[in-house]
Amino acid sequence: MNCKFKLSLATALLGAWSVMAAPDNAGFINIVKTNSYVVPVSITGFDGEAASVLKFDLEVLGMGVTSPDKADFLVSGSQSGQVKGSLTPKGADRPFWARAYAGGSVRAQAHAFANDIVKEIRGTEPIFLTRIAFRQQQGRSTEIALSDFDGYNATVLTRDGTLVSGPSWIPGGRGLLYVSWKNGGEQILEHNLSTGERRVFAGFPGANLSPAVSPDGQKVAMILSRDGNPNLWVCNMDRSGLHKLSSTEDSGPTWSPDSGEICFVRRSGHASLQKVSAGGGAARPLRVAGVYGNVTSPDWSPDGKWIAFTSGSGNFVIWVAPAGGGDAQKLVEGEDPCWAPNSRTLVFSRRVSNKRTLCLLDVPTKRVKNVMQLSGSCSEPSWAR
Amino acid sequence: MGEVKADSHNWNNKMKIANWTGMFFLSMALVAGTTACKHNTMLTPIPNNGDHPQVATPPTAPQPTAPAFTPTPGPENAVPVTAPQTPVASAEPIPLDTGAFTKTFETGTQDREKFKADTVYFEFDSSVIKASEQSKLQDLATYFKDNKKGECLIIEGNCDERGTEKYNLSLGERRALATREYLVNLGVDSQRLKTVTYGASRPVDPGHNEAAWKQNRRDDFILVTPK
Repeated sequence: MNCKFKLSLATALLGAWSVMAAPDNAGFINIVKTNSYVVPVSITGFDGEAASVLKFDLEVLGMGVTSPDKADFLVSGSQSGQVKGSLTPKGADRPFWARAYAGGSVRAQAHAFANDIVKEIRGTEPIFLTRIAFRQQQGRSTEIALSDFDGYNATVLTRDGTLVSGPSWIPGGRGLLYVSWKNGGEQILEHNLSTGERRVFAGFPGANLSPAVSPDGQKVAMILSRDGNPNLWVCNMDRSGLHKLSSTEDSGPTWSPDSGEICFVRRSGHASLQKVSAGGGAARPLRVAGVYGNVTSPDWSPDGKWIAFTSGSGNFVIWVAPAGGGDAQKLVEGEDPCWAPNSRTLVFSRRVSNKRTLCLLDVPTKRVKNVMQLSGSCSEPSWAR
Repeated sequence: MGEVKADSHNWNNKMKIANWTGMFFLSMALVAGTTACKHNTMLTPIPNNGDHPQVATPPTAPQPTAPAFTPTPGPENAVPVTAPQTPVASAEPIPLDTGAFTKTFETGTQDREKFKADTVYFEFDSSVIKASEQSKLQDLATYFKDNKKGECLIIEGNCDERGTEKYNLSLGERRALATREYLVNLGVDSQRLKTVTYGASRPVDPGHNEAAWKQNRRDDFILVTPK
């Protein structure tokens, strides 16, 4: 077996560096080329939490769990003491690899195993140990909550007893920006997740809305009405260099992965997607064909290729279009999509009877999985990336 | 496909490099890693023990002034109402600054009842002041134009549920700004006026039909009296 070491920032014990063994055997398994192919996979030997985590995770990435005779890949192993497992392509007489996972919970170990499986089969970035932030209803108020990507290990971050909106991660997951009404009118707060400290990031007269931190962590796009209209503004992370990028009626900014451009919604007669350079200049319409209804809440994929957005007025639909414009593809019913770090999975919210719930969508296969049901309406998800 | 190669030479080289690069490797992990490769089963430690760093939350503060909030569930098969898209008047927007009245807004007493009858309603997805609503604003303008008591007004913009959160927040703000501009044009000092948007978070009627929605597309007015 060909092994190599990777340094990974460790933390847990002793605050020292630890060693993480990582696979270096690309080429043995051909990544499934057709993204929209629902890959049949069998899972044997696991039960309880490990089994359910593996099934959920693989389904999130557009795989179908089936019996070994129908599977293209056989996932087998056990969780006695620790999660151990192997991945065997159909027809092979030996496993492609076998791994054991140490430390953490069975849940975390199973997620790590699923990450390794998906990396081989789909060739995408691992997402099963990532987190999301969202807005959660708590009685008569709304608060910012955090959870694993699948809704487990949820914690309520704020306890202000008022309203909040639109959490946006600071890249690297060290903090969040969100809108809070705790000081009367709406302000954008910056929340440091390690210290719990908060500061008012933007508290200008009028609306301070929809913060979006650039992927390089250097800038923040937001909607301010200080000039008399809800306009798109941008400033540096230290709040210097504030300038206006659009003088129309704007909403919902999102950044290109190189932090050079911002896509936002301009309402002029009807709502349309626009792109503007973060440094300034004229905004240009992003032409997407085939979409009906008001276009809102765009989110730019981390690989730069796609912009997901919402259309509709009540019956919301999620779409995806090439970031350079072109034919939009209708995906599923839902709203407020946000890309996972793998540029393949979306988290979004859906209105089901009297509640909003979070769902995960595998874009190429259009398969939807519900995030674990949490109490209270959950909406406006933001994926840490 | 599926063949598992043993390449102990390469493995040893990489081990050495790893050893020289990191002086602080946990010996436990090294032992685990070596053992794993010998037995053809790699051991993967879960970073952070799989747990996420403890998230610090701010201290809980009682919020007696928590705004009333009713959950806004979604519509079933809502039929969008097509409203004429009237362009907003092209007059220069009036920058928001409460100037001399900032203190009043921060510390004044709020009265939500005083102007309850003056709540202004809007068409779907519109921030245009309808003719039917103009007399209400005229009343407000009269009250504030020669107000000697230093009183101020909070304008709260609200929407029905048929929009995404981000869009509705901007729309609610536009509704609040539209009445503010109207009042300023009637002679009210712009510094006496403050806008707040709640998007669709504070519906008057939680229903999922036009009867409810038309009640929720509104601007509420809150009188602020200096202490």
